Amino acid sequence: MIKASLRGLLQRKLRLALAVIAIVLSVGFLSGSMVLSDTLNARFAGLFATINENVAVQVQPTKESDNGERVLLSAAELEKMSKVDGVDKASGEVSGQGVVPFQSDTGDEVTTQTTIAAGTDGRDPLGLVELREGDWPHSADEVAISANTAKLAKVKRGEQLKIFVPQLGEPKNYRVSGIVGYSGGRDSLAGEALILFELGHAQEMFYGKRDVFANASFSAKDGVTHEELKKRIEAQLPAGFKALTGEEVTEQQSNVLGDQFSVFQIILTAFAIIAAFVGIFLIYNTFNIIVAQRSRELALLRAMGAGWGQVVGSVMLEALIVGGVGATLGLALGAGVGALVERMLTSGIGLGIESAGIVLSPWAVLWSYAMGILVTVIAAFVPAIKASSVPPVAAMREVVRPDKSLVGLTITGSCFLVPGLALVALPLLASVPQSTLILAAGLGLVFIGVMLLSPMLAKPVVRLLGYLVGWGQAGKLGVRNSLRNPRRTAVTAISLMIGVTLISAAATVTESFKTSLENDIGRYDVAIIVLGPNTAPPDGRTGYNPTAMDKVSQLPGVTDVASWHITLNGALGGQPYPGLAATDVAVAQRMWKMETIEGRLGKLSPNEFVIDDNLAKDRGWKVGEKVKVRIEAVERDYTLVGIYKATPTVSGPLLAEAAVDDFAGGLAYQGFVSVSQGTDVAATVASVDKIMSDYPGVTVGDMSAFLKQFNQIFDFLLRAITFLLGVALIIALLGILNTLLLSIVERTRELGLVRAIGLSRGAVVRMVGVESILIAVFGCLLGLVVGVGSGAALSQALIEADFMTTIVLPWTNLIAYVVTAILFGVFAAVVPALRAAFLNVLDAIAYE
Amino acid sequence: MTMTPAARAVEVWKVYGTGEAQVQALRGVSAEFERGKYTAIMGPSGSGKSTLMHCLAGLDTVNAGTVYIGETQVTGLGDAGLTKLRREKVGFIFQQFNLLPTLTAAENITLPLAIAGRQPDKAWYDTVILTVGLGDRLHHRPSELSGGQQQRVACARALVSRPEVIFADEPTGNLDSRSGTDVLNFLRDSVRQHGQTIVMVTHDPNAASYADRVVFLADGEIVDEILSPTADSVLDRMKKLDRNA
Ligand SMILES: Nc1ncnc2c1ncn2[C@@H]1O[C@H](COP(=O)(O)OP(=O)(O)OP(=O)(O)O)[C@@H](O)[C@H]1O
Ligand SMILES: [Mg+2]
Repeated sequence: MIKASLRGLLQRKLRLALAVIAIVLSVGFLSGSMVLSDTLNARFAGLFATINENVAVQVQPTKESDNGERVLLSAAELEKMSKVDGVDKASGEVSGQGVVPFQSDTGDEVTTQTTIAAGTDGRDPLGLVELREGDWPHSADEVAISANTAKLAKVKRGEQLKIFVPQLGEPKNYRVSGIVGYSGGRDSLAGEALILFELGHAQEMFYGKRDVFANASFSAKDGVTHEELKKRIEAQLPAGFKALTGEEVTEQQSNVLGDQFSVFQIILTAFAIIAAFVGIFLIYNTFNIIVAQRSRELALLRAMGAGWGQVVGSVMLEALIVGGVGATLGLALGAGVGALVERMLTSGIGLGIESAGIVLSPWAVLWSYAMGILVTVIAAFVPAIKASSVPPVAAMREVVRPDKSLVGLTITGSCFLVPGLALVALPLLASVPQSTLILAAGLGLVFIGVMLLSPMLAKPVVRLLGYLVGWGQAGKLGVRNSLRNPRRTAVTAISLMIGVTLISAAATVTESFKTSLENDIGRYDVAIIVLGPNTAPPDGRTGYNPTAMDKVSQLPGVTDVASWHITLNGALGGQPYPGLAATDVAVAQRMWKMETIEGRLGKLSPNEFVIDDNLAKDRGWKVGEKVKVRIEAVERDYTLVGIYKATPTVSGPLLAEAAVDDFAGGLAYQGFVSVSQGTDVAATVASVDKIMSDYPGVTVGDMSAFLKQFNQIFDFLLRAITFLLGVALIIALLGILNTLLLSIVERTRELGLVRAIGLSRGAVVRMVGVESILIAVFGCLLGLVVGVGSGAALSQALIEADFMTTIVLPWTNLIAYVVTAILFGVFAAVVPALRAAFLNVLDAIAYE
Repeated sequence: MTMTPAARAVEVWKVYGTGEAQVQALRGVSAEFERGKYTAIMGPSGSGKSTLMHCLAGLDTVNAGTVYIGETQVTGLGDAGLTKLRREKVGFIFQQFNLLPTLTAAENITLPLAIAGRQPDKAWYDTVILTVGLGDRLHHRPSELSGGQQQRVACARALVSRPEVIFADEPTGNLDSRSGTDVLNFLRDSVRQHGQTIVMVTHDPNAASYADRVVFLADGEIVDEILSPTADSVLDRMKKLDRNA
């Protein structure tokens, strides 16, 4: 029995190859994305292992900023810990964020991944950084910089380097006292810039007082283990601090850096899951058809006395082998591609970290095999059971399997679809809590419902489409062929539907958003926008000095200016609220045409604030309400004096300008300028840009420029989504190809017959092409309907939340998707159609 | 003016395989099949009956010799020419699997016309349908028809485009005697009443007796023929052939 099934395996090379390719592709993307992220992580871990080479123990604040307040280590506490028995050397760390050096020739900011800014007292006890030329900084006007920084900023020792420090608010010139490097002759660890300030100066700038440190690192004397030293130091720990071994620090740091990439990884994993999901359909369909086609052979085995279990067992064995081979190849493919992409990525962003080699985690292996083997075995199981339960005689006769009833599927599908639609409608019609969750659940149910209903939908839809593409007798035969097994057509189409649904939903939301923004932004009296850098989250330490706006207000034609201070480190009524803004509400009201709903807007006194109507409804606050507002570490009682109508552009809490005193820094993050009629906006933008040139990362543009920039971001997002879903679409393409090829094998004798009675080669090609196009377009239409519907529902929800104003269907995109689907159909049909057309007529008729 | 025969083979050789495994399926066969006549081809299994028919119909290529259907030289035609030939000049009936499962009986019958993009001649179509005698089963799928009914549909399909010649390879091979008789009557009527030319391969002396002429094949050569055969005369001749072999 086993011999028979193995021999059978080798005799059906084509079908076997198709099944394996299906598995390889699906498994490949999944394992590829896992290998990519594992390999990236290993590379980061390698980087931090180098940094912490000499660190036995590090003492850090327990929480970076518990209620915003920064816990610092005093010089005395550091001194006390450095006396602990077993400590060899101790080093206190002083560092600041948002420091940016400028290039000496162009005056532009240096662009790197990060700039490390630290304080030094002329020694680096732990020996990571070494002085190469010149001297350590000895005054508040000197800095030592890494060789890489010198190269990036194009400065030499003794020259002036312009540096922006957020706490100072303005750029300042420093003399480069020396050039440093890392052990092993490296100019940088990972392409970053490094600026070392004199210790006391750095402490004053970053912490506002001398003799304090953010954390401290210790090396161990010979014979003292890191764990041991950690225990000893823990006994001397000041309150609010914890001790970690060097190894733990490495892990922590690579996790932090990993987090920066984690968005990327999460996105990648999400798309890998989508691809895997599509792959499941592909594998299932392929194996399903293969086993169904063998039902005669299986019946013959049964007739010769093979038991039910033997038949099912032999099919399962076959599935196991095919799944195992496919998963292994897919894993290998994924590892290769993942490693390649990792190399391209890291060299693409100039991350000069040594590779840690390809990392193949047990999880990647496990998931690959789970996906490859499990899906294949399950896919084979259902048809194997069916095949073995057919009476041998019936299966051996030339019979057309009658259409299985779709009633069960249709009922089940409706059981998903109807409640799903209700859940989608609920949050759109009435205000309910957890509306996003309900909407998402509803959309999920609708999607499953449509999937289950698709075999039932296939007949009418494909028949209708058939009128459009089913020209001539060849076309008609193609239409009939695609209708003869609605389940098969539907399952094949679903793999395409999944990708199209997601793409068209994204396209609908972005198009609606773009149009809403465009419509909305024209209403306001704002001509020029100043935006802070997007390199760090705003908290008052990034952006521009608001005094710069005074200069802007002097420009000819400028009628109004406004500076908005924004912080993500705040809380509103006890809940963290990223996005508190402090500004002159009177000006904001003029510029943004803010509509008062309750109370008053206008100039606010200290400790007063206003919010939009959605937020007021959400929190249940009325005018006059006392609300606790925390900014950084300071919590104060604020009085709600007014409620305004939210718009897509302006929403959220606006605090009195006085609140800026509590921000981490005095920099404004956004600025707005209005001009009188007839003012040369372009010239004004240029002047404002000049005034803002001292502030790193600050961009200036007129409304249309920003709109364009926004649109570009949306377009880029949509393109990125489309690209990532491309893998899923290619798997879907392969699915169509598989189904067609297998169907053609199944219909070999029919093909011989129609050729014998006069169907030309060209007509056979057309016949297969029509079937392919019908499947592709059917899948695309299902996806479009569900996708556009979901997109519209999401947009409607966003409209309710005043993020958007209109729903716009992305017609050009939708048409492009249909055209692409047709091309997909044509493309998928090429190989099967040629195969069908060049079948030898006699062989085909005699085919068993 | 002498009428050209509906189909003609001149010194046709067909060889399968090479070297040791070589089989000479046809060894210089020459034969003519007159218009409006019903010819049966008989012979032991493996004698080359099917091969001859396939070569005559342009389904297979020959190694040497020439084949004509009417005025058209079949040997040397490309795929386009062969397709045109099949559409206009040749009809087929196979032993089994003659119908497309997705089409109804009626649709199967008109399929050759639809493929060629021709309208059925209404009167002729009605005649053919009437002769098939399927009645209301005409709009059923092949899977809902009996084997005999299916084979009659296949005959009607071959007839409907009025080809110069219909080739039938053991059309009754899969049928019981009653259904077989139906099909044979159908074929003979189409020759007698409508002047159709039919070439039929069969093993059954009784089936051969419906023909106007029987050609005997052995080892790839035509060895004998009988005009106006009866079942007995055919059986007699076959026994003789077997003894010689
Ligand atoms: N494709 C092929 N390859 C090799 N040999 C073949 C092929 N087709 C037929 N033959 C050989 O050619 C010879 C004639 O075969 P053919 O099918 O014409 O016989 P037949 O008279 O129709 O027999 P039957 O009555 O059994 O149908 C046989 O010896 C057969 O083995
Ligand atoms: Mg034969």
